[in-house]
Amino acid sequence: MDKDPAILLIDDEPQILRALKTILAANHFRVTSAVTGEQGIAMAVAQPPDLIILDLTLPDMDGIAVAESIREWSQVPIIVLSVRDSEKDKVAALDRGADDYLTKPFGIEELLARIRVALRHSEKTLGNKGSLIKAGTVIVDLARHLVTLRGEEIRLTATEFKLLAYLAAHADRVLTHQAILTQVWGFEDYDHVEYLRVYIGQLRKKLEQNPDEPQILLTEPGVGYRFKASE
Amino acid sequence: MLAGHPHKPRVGLESDQPSMRILPNLIQNKFLNLLLRFLAAILTIAALTFLMQAFKPELANQVIVLIYLLPVMLSTVLWGLGPGILAAFLAFLTFNYFYLEPLHTLQVHANQDLILLTIFLIVAVVLAQLIGQARQGERLARSREWEATRMYELISALARLQDVQSVAQVLADQTRETFDCTQVEVTTLEKKDEASAAARSIESAAAIGEPSSRVRLDTAREHEGELCLWLSGGQLSREEQRLLSAFTSQGALAIERIRLARGEKRSRLLEESDKLKSSLLNSVSHELRTPLSAIKASVSSLRSQTVDWNAPERNELLATIEEETDHLNLLVGNLLDMSRIESGALKPHRTWNAMSEIVWGVARKMRSQLQEHHLVIELPADLPLVPTDYVMMEQVFTNLLSNSIKYARMGTRIEITAAADDGGLHTQVANQSPQVPEEHLEAIFEKFHRITEADKVTGTGLGLSICKGIIEAHGGRIWATNEPDRFVFHFTLPLTLDGALPDSPREIENG
Repeated sequence: MDKDPAILLIDDEPQILRALKTILAANHFRVTSAVTGEQGIAMAVAQPPDLIILDLTLPDMDGIAVAESIREWSQVPIIVLSVRDSEKDKVAALDRGADDYLTKPFGIEELLARIRVALRHSEKTLGNKGSLIKAGTVIVDLARHLVTLRGEEIRLTATEFKLLAYLAAHADRVLTHQAILTQVWGFEDYDHVEYLRVYIGQLRKKLEQNPDEPQILLTEPGVGYRFKASE
Repeated sequence: MLAGHPHKPRVGLESDQPSMRILPNLIQNKFLNLLLRFLAAILTIAALTFLMQAFKPELANQVIVLIYLLPVMLSTVLWGLGPGILAAFLAFLTFNYFYLEPLHTLQVHANQDLILLTIFLIVAVVLAQLIGQARQGERLARSREWEATRMYELISALARLQDVQSVAQVLADQTRETFDCTQVEVTTLEKKDEASAAARSIESAAAIGEPSSRVRLDTAREHEGELCLWLSGGQLSREEQRLLSAFTSQGALAIERIRLARGEKRSRLLEESDKLKSSLLNSVSHELRTPLSAIKASVSSLRSQTVDWNAPERNELLATIEEETDHLNLLVGNLLDMSRIESGALKPHRTWNAMSEIVWGVARKMRSQLQEHHLVIELPADLPLVPTDYVMMEQVFTNLLSNSIKYARMGTRIEITAAADDGGLHTQVANQSPQVPEEHLEAIFEKFHRITEADKVTGTGLGLSICKGIIEAHGGRIWATNEPDRFVFHFTLPLTLDGALPDSPREIENG
């Protein structure tokens, strides 16, 4: 990349802005900030950033509405930062435009990792989307419908593969239960979380070293699942 | 029973007195009644006189005089003192007219007859008076006894009641049974946090029109409501009015008693929650200051220009800051949860979950805290899915494990096991902490309950009560037991969601 990525911070709390500006600048990001939803949207239009970090509690409007409004015309990755920790809020934000969700207080390493994932992901969607996804010793080949563990092919049922493929294609992103169920089983099964519990369990048994302490298929408590790819 | 009784316009609320409209009617009734009684007395004398004409020749005057005392007595007993006295005078005149020489005149010639006649009159009048008084006394006593019985019944019925609505109903029913009326309505006023109540007691059909009488339900302190009654006819006597006002004041007292009892309960609750709040504040300020002082100390040390920290020292200070901020965050989360539980806003979002996923997730998150203990997780592979709120269940395990870590010695085992049975999913978290005295086993799930002194162990004293709140919101039960060498937390969770088991997953078609 020839230029440092630009990040737009939309948050009305000065302490958070001050800390994040310092930390992000030190990590070679160009940072601009807005303290209201209106201002944030205007800035996103005027100077499209590479990534947006969005607080849900803004003085003029709800953060989810900001995400929705930006999503209407832009695919820029949006990471939500919020003190709201209920799964309902998380699911709502993710289903309505946000790419990721972090609860305040958060560790800065965690935030930087999520930013890197989001930026990488947006590059992929822009063009060179790879069909090979690696996670430790597991390789998912989306084009050839093939999954290998330490070089050996793993037999998966059609459902298992479709589920794994969907998660792997959106690697490192939180996918809500509803989104996964709708994609894999179809709209009429969107609330059958029990299907997911069973199939994720089966996939973990086949792919994870220790199914009880998964490293690839991670649970996002109360929200959904995340496929953790290797860097 | 009548709810939401439409309020009639409060016209003539204080009219205990008969309204002017029915007054003439009433007087007529009373007058007619009296007239009839006097007429009856006259007729009795007339009848006797007629009868006596048949036996006249055979009877001496002295006997006849005695016989004439009978109707006097009868009239007094049957129709009262007035008719009795009238009968006495009539008998006196009749006897004089028909039996004393000269006959058929009211004149008396013989001294002897005059004496007889005078004595008769005196005896008759005195007799009538005595009988009348006795009769009135007896009637009074009987009505007093009846009133007392009715009062007793009312009071004992009211004494048992705990709510205003039933007081209103009992008062209405008993009033209708006691007084001669077709309908009684009792309405109570709305007070601070007591809704108004209305009750109606009807004999057969609902009465139409304005009530015959309205009586306020008053106590020495407060106006509690109103009683309206529709009389079958006539008007309440003075005794009845007195009884009615005794009834209404008993009703008012009963309502007041209930209100006062409620008030007392409320103030006790307030007192308790006040105590709770101050112990929360104590505990919270202590709990917040501890991590804050650690953070403050570490940060100011790091910023200090005078000391040149080496790398391990810096790391140690920074680790302290991070751990303590996590601790603060947990504390705030606990307080928030507690207030949600207290306000009834804790609504679990139940979906099908695998207990093992939750347990292992918590174990991973708490790895650093669990370093000093040996955590053993033994969950059967075929454990059924359980409908729970994932995040809340994480909270339950986090709190139970924190508690175990806090009280069990370093190096001891903490075990998590679960099994499904008829009662649902039964989970156990066992540790090797000291036994808890039996009398505390239930109380440890209450807020701020501690067996040890507050400053010996850290924590808000909220953890276990949050567990209890969450498990109960799931329809489950949580308790603790002492076992040989172990202390065990148990909880159960229902295995059905809205009465159903999980659907078995649908395998999709290839392609």
